[in-house]
Amino acid sequence: MNSPLDLTRRRFFGDVSTGLMGVGLTQLLGSEYVSAAGDPTVKWSAGSGKPHFPAKAKRVLQIFCPGAAAHMDLWEHKPMLEKMDGKPLPGEENMVSFQGKNGPLMRSPWPFEPAGESGKMISSMLPNMSQHADDIAFFHGMTSKTNTHGPGCVFVNTGHPTEGFPSAGAWTSYALGSLTDNLPTYVALPDVRGEPPNGKANWSNGFLPAKHQAIVMAAHQPIRNLERPSGVSAGEEQGTRDLLTFFNKRHALMRPEESELQARISAYELAAKMQMSAPEVSDFASEPKHIHQLYGTDSNNELKAAYARNCLLSRRLLERGVRYVNLYCASRASGVDGLLNWDAHKTLKHDYERHCPVFDQPTAALLTDLKQRGMLDDTLILWTTEFGRMPTRQVGTAGRDHNPDGFTLWMMGAGVKGGTSYGATDDFGRRAEKNPTSIWEYYSTVLHLLGLDYEKLSWYHNGLDRRLTDVHGKVIRQVLA
Amino acid sequence: MIFPAHQPDKVPRGIWCLFVAIALLVTGIAEGVDFEKEIKPFLEKKCLGCHNPNIAKGDIILSGAEHVFAEGAELIVPGDALKSDIYLVATPAEPGEVPEMPEEGDALTGQEAELLKQWIDEGAVWPEGLVLHEASKSDKSWWAYQPLSESPLKTIDAFIEASLTKEGLAMSPAADRRVLIRRATYDLTGMPPTPEEVEAFVSNSDPAAYEQLIDRLLASPHYGERWGRHWLDVIRFGESNGFERNVIINNAWPFRDYVIDSINDDKPFDQLIREHIAGDVFGKGDPAVELGSAFLTGGPYDDVGNKDVVAAAQIRANTLDEIIGATGEAFLGMTIGCARCHDHKFDPISHRDYYSLYSTFSGVRHGSRPLATAKEVQARDKLVKPLNAEKATLEADLKQAERELINKVREKLPEYQKRWVRPKVNRTLTEDEFDPVPAKFIRIVSESLDTNPNVAGGFRIDEFEVFSSGDKPRNVALAANGARATGAARLIEDFPGAYGPQLAIDGKLGARFVSTGTTLTIELAQPTEINRVVFSSGRDEDTFTHGKFTFVSDYRIEVSDDGENWREVAHGRDRKPVSVAHENLRLKKAEATKEEVDVINKVKAELASVNKQLAGIPALKSVWLGTRNAKDAEGPFHIFLGGSPQKKGEEVVPASLSALSEVSPTYELSSDADESKRRSEFADWIVNEKNPLSARVLANRIWHYHFGTGIVDTPNDFGYMGGQPTHPELLDFLARRLKAHDWKLKPMHREVMLSKAYRQSSSWNDVAGKVDGDSRLLWRFPPRRLSAEEIRDTLLSVSGQLNLEMGGPGFRLYKFMQDNVCTYEPLDEHGPETYRRAVYHQNARASVVDLMTEFDQADCSFSTPKRSETTTPLQALTMLNHQFTMDMSKALAAKIKERGGNPVTSAFAMAYQRAAEKEELEQSEIMIRKHGIEAFCRALLNSSELIYLD
Repeated sequence: MNSPLDLTRRRFFGDVSTGLMGVGLTQLLGSEYVSAAGDPTVKWSAGSGKPHFPAKAKRVLQIFCPGAAAHMDLWEHKPMLEKMDGKPLPGEENMVSFQGKNGPLMRSPWPFEPAGESGKMISSMLPNMSQHADDIAFFHGMTSKTNTHGPGCVFVNTGHPTEGFPSAGAWTSYALGSLTDNLPTYVALPDVRGEPPNGKANWSNGFLPAKHQAIVMAAHQPIRNLERPSGVSAGEEQGTRDLLTFFNKRHALMRPEESELQARISAYELAAKMQMSAPEVSDFASEPKHIHQLYGTDSNNELKAAYARNCLLSRRLLERGVRYVNLYCASRASGVDGLLNWDAHKTLKHDYERHCPVFDQPTAALLTDLKQRGMLDDTLILWTTEFGRMPTRQVGTAGRDHNPDGFTLWMMGAGVKGGTSYGATDDFGRRAEKNPTSIWEYYSTVLHLLGLDYEKLSWYHNGLDRRLTDVHGKVIRQVLA
Repeated sequence: MIFPAHQPDKVPRGIWCLFVAIALLVTGIAEGVDFEKEIKPFLEKKCLGCHNPNIAKGDIILSGAEHVFAEGAELIVPGDALKSDIYLVATPAEPGEVPEMPEEGDALTGQEAELLKQWIDEGAVWPEGLVLHEASKSDKSWWAYQPLSESPLKTIDAFIEASLTKEGLAMSPAADRRVLIRRATYDLTGMPPTPEEVEAFVSNSDPAAYEQLIDRLLASPHYGERWGRHWLDVIRFGESNGFERNVIINNAWPFRDYVIDSINDDKPFDQLIREHIAGDVFGKGDPAVELGSAFLTGGPYDDVGNKDVVAAAQIRANTLDEIIGATGEAFLGMTIGCARCHDHKFDPISHRDYYSLYSTFSGVRHGSRPLATAKEVQARDKLVKPLNAEKATLEADLKQAERELINKVREKLPEYQKRWVRPKVNRTLTEDEFDPVPAKFIRIVSESLDTNPNVAGGFRIDEFEVFSSGDKPRNVALAANGARATGAARLIEDFPGAYGPQLAIDGKLGARFVSTGTTLTIELAQPTEINRVVFSSGRDEDTFTHGKFTFVSDYRIEVSDDGENWREVAHGRDRKPVSVAHENLRLKKAEATKEEVDVINKVKAELASVNKQLAGIPALKSVWLGTRNAKDAEGPFHIFLGGSPQKKGEEVVPASLSALSEVSPTYELSSDADESKRRSEFADWIVNEKNPLSARVLANRIWHYHFGTGIVDTPNDFGYMGGQPTHPELLDFLARRLKAHDWKLKPMHREVMLSKAYRQSSSWNDVAGKVDGDSRLLWRFPPRRLSAEEIRDTLLSVSGQLNLEMGGPGFRLYKFMQDNVCTYEPLDEHGPETYRRAVYHQNARASVVDLMTEFDQADCSFSTPKRSETTTPLQALTMLNHQFTMDMSKALAAKIKERGGNPVTSAFAMAYQRAAEKEELEQSEIMIRKHGIEAFCRALLNSSELIYLD
C-alpha cells in the first residue's frame, strides 16, 4: 500500500487540515489504498471523513482514570476476596511486584451491589455509575505489557508502551478527519489536578503530522493563544488581518501551483472561526440549572465540581462536532501515592473515598445526558485506566500494588452490546483468566466500530507500517450489538 | 508518481525467486525431491512468517523436525500427503478455490504444491538438524548492501540531466540572485541574510561571487548550528529522560555543543560516528573526544524503579533496544529494532544480529559522570584527598565523643523515666488538655519527628482539632467554622494546595498536610477560650506505622493573641519517648555539661570547616555521558525469544551484522570480550572503507537537507520498506565523493550548492509538473517552508533581537515543574533570555512549546530523519496572538523607526530582502496610518513570504 509519505511534496504541503477542521484541501489529499473490500477500483482516502466500511460510531469519548483504578474495588466483584480476606494469595505467597513485597489478600473496603436488569455487581462507591450498567460492555480480562504508570498510560492510549506513537485520538483524526470547521478534531481535557502520567505523550500525534495532536482545553484551561492580545483593538485586529491576507494572497498568486500557500490562507480563516466558536463551547451560561445539578458543577467538593465542568464541556464539544474527546479524571503519581490519582498503594479506602465521589456523579451525568440527547446512537464511550491493582495488600499498608496481569476497561454507546461482561480475572482478580484481552484487541474493536479496519489503518515510520494495534489485534465480536 | 518510493509490493524481490525457479527447472520433479533445495525455500518464504518458534501461530511451528513431527501432530503423515494437514490447508479444496493457508501472501504455486506432495509421499525425510528460518523479503543482494558503483558521469549535474533527459525534461533557468542568497543562507545557517549582504551579492559582478558566498557561509559558525540541528534530529537528542518521570537533564548540553563544534570544524564524519559509539574508548582521557559517546545515552529511558524483577529486566532490555534502534537508523539506515522479537520480516537482519548488538551495548547505562582530563582529575584528587582523610578522622572523633556522652547520660535514665508519665505520641490520635486559655492563634511546633529525633520539619497531619472549653466543646479549628491554617507545605506548582495546611482543618481524613517546616498555625475565626487539642497523622488507619504518616515526637502547643507573641500551653516532652534514639536526645539535652557540649561542638565546627573547604573545591565537570560498566557486559548473552528476557535462546557474541558480510569484513568477539572492545570494534566496522551503507546513508542525508527530499526518501531506512533511490548512480557517486573528501561535509556542500541543479529557479512548469509533480528529478528547485527553528530565529533576527551567543546551557520556553514526576508548561511570555537561536532550546521530551511544536519541531522520542511540514490554524493562533509575536512586532517597529526613511521599504528589506512594490507600499501605508507600525509589523511577521523559500 501507499504510505502517506509518498504524497508528493506539493500534496503534502497542501494538506492543510489542521486538527481543527477538516474541510477544503483535506479532501484532495490523504493516503489512498485499495478498500477493505478488496476492490482495487475503490480507493479509501484518509481524512476524507469516510471510514473503510459503514461505521456505528461517528465520534468517541474516552474517559481515562489514571493511576490504575482497581478493578476489584470498582467493577469486577470478587466474593472470594471477602471470604479469604487476610489469607495469603494461593500460589503467590511471596509475590514481589512494582513497589515490593505483598502481604495477604485484602477485600474491597465496600460492598458490591447488583445494578440494572442485568444485576451486574458494581461497587457501592459508584451508585450513579451503576445505573448505566445495562448499557456497558465490560472487558474484565484486560492485560498490559507494563506495570509502570507512564508507559502504561501511553500503552493504553497509543497501543505502544514507549512514547512517540500516535494516540487513538490522533489515529482517528488521521483516519476520519473532522466533523466541524470551527472546533478541533481531537481535544484532550486534563484534570484540574494536572496532567496524567507521561503527560502530553498521552495525546500526542507521535509521528503523524502535527495537526493530529489533541488540542488541550478544559473548563479550567482555555485553548492556548486563542484570544486576541489584550493591547490590540478589534479595529486594529481587522486591519492586521486584512493586510496579512493581502500579503499572503499576493504571494500565493505569484506561485499558483503551491497549494500550501493557499492552505496557509485557509488556516488563518479557520483560526478566526475557532476564535468565535471555542469561547461559546466553554460558556455554560446557556445550560439550565437542572443540567448543572445533574453533573454536579455546583458541588462544594471543588475537585468534583471541576471534573463535572469538564464532563459538561465534553458533552458540548461532542455535540458541536469534535471527533474525539479524551477526558481525564485525576492526574499523575504525586509525592504521596494515591493523592492525585487512583494509585492507591497505601491507603486504598481513604484514597478511593476521595476519588470515587469526584468521578461517579459527573461521569454518570455525562452518560445520562448523552443518552437523553440521542447521542449514544453514534457516540462510542470508552472508559480506560492503565492497568489494575493486586488483590493483596502491600506489606505494612492498606493499599494495593500495580497489576498489569488483569484489569477492567469498558465501552458503551454506538454499536456496543450493553449489559455484557467479556472476559474475567481469576477468583481473586490477580490474572486475566477467561478471554484475556489485549489493548490491541480493545482498539481493534474500537476501530471496527468507527468503520475502520485495524490492519489497514497504518502509517510508515522508520521501517514499518505502524498501527494503533501494533502487529496484533482482533475484533471482539462478543461485545458488538 | 513516476518514482518508486517505499512501496514494497512494487519493489522487485530479491534474486532468490529466480533462484528457486531455476532450481526447479534444473532438478525437475521427477527425481526424488531434495528438501533443502526444493521445499525449504518456499516453506521459509510462505509459511515460516507465522509458524516460527517466536510467533507459533495456531501453535504450529514448522522450523524443525522436532516441531513438525511432534507427537499428536498430524501436520505431516509420512507417505501420505492427502492425510497431511500441511498439504491439505496449503492447497485448494476445490480447483480454483483459495487455499486456507497462507492467510497472507501468495499461496503455493502448483509446482510447489506438487513438490510438497511428492516429498511427503516419498516419506517426508527431514534432513537431520536442518532448521528453517523465516525468509526476509530482501536478502544480502538488496541494492543498499552492494559495493558502491562506478559511473562514467563525473558531476552532479550530469546525473541529474541524464535522468531528466530520459523523461524529456530539462532543468529550469537559474534562480535570480536575491532568491539564491536567501536560499543558500538559510540552507547553511538557518537564518536570513541581512539586507546589506543581499545588496552586496546582487550587485557583485564577479563571476565567482556565488562561490565566494558559499565559502563565506561555510565558514560561518552559524553553519554548525544549522547542520548540527539536523544531526541532533537524526540522533534523537533530547534533554529529559522521557517516560513517566521525564526528569529534565541539565548537563546534556555539552554534547549539543560538541555536535555543533564538530560540524563547524568539519570533523570527518567517520570519526564523528566512531566517537559517538566509542569516543570514551578511542579518546580516553581526552574530554573532547569522550564527549562524543554521549550519543549512546542521548535517548529516552525509563528510570522508574521497579521491584518486580521480570519487569525490571524488560525495562533494561527496552533501554538497550532504544540504543540499538537509534544506532542502526542513524549510521546504517537499518531498522535493526525490528529484529528484536524475531528475524526481521523485510531485511536480512537476523534475531541473532540484534542480540549481537545487544551484547555490544550491554555495558552502557544512562547517567552523569565526570568528564575531565587525567590531569584535572589528579589535580583535584590532590586537593580533596587530605581533606577527606581529615574528615574521616573528625567523624570518628565525633562518634566517639557522642558515644561516651550517651553512656554517661543514660545512667540518669531511671530518674527521667519517672517524669515521662504520659503515653508516647500516637499517630492515630494524640490529645493534650490544658487550663482554659483565650486564643486567637494556636500552633503546634515540632521539635523532632517520630522517625528521626534530629529532624523537626516534615511531619504530616490529617486533622488538627482545637476545642473550646465549657459545656459544649466544639472544634473551632475547622475551616467550616471560619478558621484558617498556615504552614510551610510541600508544593505542587500546577496544583497548589495538594499537600497544604488547609487539609489539616477540613474535617476530612485521607488527604493530609505535608509540612516542610516545623509549624502548623491555625487562626481562629475569633478569640476563643480553648482547653484541648486533638491531632493525628493516620487516624482510622490500621497501617499507621507506614512512612506515609510521619508524625511529630517532641512538640509544643502554643497560643497567641496577635500571631507574634506566643505562650506554651502544652508539650509532649513528658510523654514517653518513641525510641531509644529519641530517649538519648532528651537525656543529652538535659544532662550534658557545658564542657561536654563544647567538646562536641568544637569537633562539629571543625568538621563543618572541612566540609566547607571540600565544597569549595570545584567539582569536575559532570556530563550526561552515561556510564560504561564492565560487569553488565560480561557474557554470555543470549537471544531473547519473542523479545522476552525470560526466554533465553541460543548464545550470541558481539559481532558484525550479517547483511554486509559479503562486501565488508566481518568480526566476531569472544563471549568474554571487554566492554570497550565490544563498542570500538563495532564502530570501526560501521565506518570500514568496504562498508557501502554508512557512506550512502550519510550522502543521502546531505542531499535530503539541501533539496528537501533524499535520493532515498526514507533517510533512516534503506531496507525493503524504505524508498528506492531515484538516482542510484548519483547516490553512489556522492558516497564516493564523500569518502574522497575524507568524510568531510563542507566540500560536499560546496559540490552540491555549486551545481546547476541547486542554483535553478523554483518556478512551476506545467509540462514538467505533470510528469514529476514532486520534482524528484529536479527539473526545478523544490521550494520549502522554514523549519520551526528557522521561523523563530527569523522572527528574532528580523526584529533585531537575536542574541547570537553560542553554546552553553540552553534556555527554556516552558516552565519546568517537578513533583515526583515532571510537568512542562509552555510559557505565555518569552523573556530576552530566550532570544537565542532555537538550537539552544533545552528540548524536553513530550513537551509542547507553542510555535516550535506547531511548526513540526522533531519530537525527540525517536530519530527524526525528516521533518513534517504541516499547516494548521493553531500555527495561526500562536503566530497572531502569542506575546512573543507582539514583542517582536514592537521591536521591529522600533528598529524601523530608528532606521528612518520609509518604514515599509525598511521593513520589506529586513523581512523579505527585497523592495516593496507599489501596491504593497500603498496598502501598508494606509494600514500604518490607521493602526500604527506595530500592527503593520504583526502582519508582516505572520506573512507567508517570511517563512517560505523559493
